[in-house]
Amino acid sequence: MAIESEDFIIDKVLAGSQSAYAELVDKYKSYAFTIANKILQSRPDAEEVAQDAFIKAYHHLATFNRDSKFSTWLYRIVFNTAISHKRKNKRKFENIETTVIAYDQEGDVMLEKFDKHKYVNLALTKLNEADRTALTLFYLKEFSLEEIAEITGMQANTTKVRIHRARAKLADELQTILKHEALTL
Amino acid sequence: MKQVPKSLEDKLFRYLDGALTTDELRLFNEDLRQNEVLKERLSQLRDIDRSMGSLRLEEPSRNFTTLVMSKLDQYPLSAPGFSIRNSILLLAGILVAVGIASALVAAGVFDNVTPTLDLSGIALPTRYFQKSLPSIPFNGKIVMDIIIFLNLGLAWIVLDRAILRPLFQRRMQEGH
Repeated sequence: MAIESEDFIIDKVLAGSQSAYAELVDKYKSYAFTIANKILQSRPDAEEVAQDAFIKAYHHLATFNRDSKFSTWLYRIVFNTAISHKRKNKRKFENIETTVIAYDQEGDVMLEKFDKHKYVNLALTKLNEADRTALTLFYLKEFSLEEIAEITGMQANTTKVRIHRARAKLADELQTILKHEALTL
Repeated sequence: MKQVPKSLEDKLFRYLDGALTTDELRLFNEDLRQNEVLKERLSQLRDIDRSMGSLRLEEPSRNFTTLVMSKLDQYPLSAPGFSIRNSILLLAGILVAVGIASALVAAGVFDNVTPTLDLSGIALPTRYFQKSLPSIPFNGKIVMDIIIFLNLGLAWIVLDRAILRPLFQRRMQEGH
């Protein structure tokens, strides 16, 4: 979808054509859901938050000033909605994180056979939401550093350094988890 | 394990991202040959890059778009202001305060409290005001009764606006 046609769709929605909005939802739902799921670590909650974010975006579409891409503006709404959802349900999410760790500790597979991807995901949950989202967007390779900064609310000039630090922290967390797993075997 | 200095770690990331110049790359490769800690750290970061690099977009449910479109007219998504839980806590706090105040009034704690608001001490321009302002006596019990009454009014508003209405609205929405 070209930028002009996206602008055209936005104009149609603003002119009152509600059904035109479905095209934007279809186009951006995967990214919106991925961002929400990375923050919330729960598919049902991510689904609810992503839907809420699309509904909020629809009702505030007139305030979208088109200085940035629609997607960047939308993902910023997804990010903020997910963060406030997590804060509202803090106790529930704390329980989920504890449960994940407890479940992994019960694993009886050999260290050599560990699915590293699973442990990287677990290490990812140890980072704060902004770093986690920034890393996700960085590795999806679809976003510039400026866009990542805009979505996560980071300072644009420090985003690169923050992503480097987040990668280093992720590596440290992974080492800690793997060491812990090795000790419990 | 020993830590890699920050300056070298930054180079590691630039190496992984292919951002080193030819000269920097040559020097860095030499560092890598001599420094086991650096080599180990590179291996860890490569693991992270490999795992994160295989990150794929996650798909929501199939009826996601339909659900969004069906809920577009249900905005705002939730009642603004307090959540029902917080409102119940606020209501409980008000009722506890009213209870304590009522118990103190009933025990006669405020019966002998009769403060006076002395307005005569206020200096007014004598050119316009010939008489001094009066002193106004207060009855502590009446003041407390008024505060209790206002609190009961506030409790009723909280119960109605922040608890009962959102609760019934939610039930109605769930019923549809």
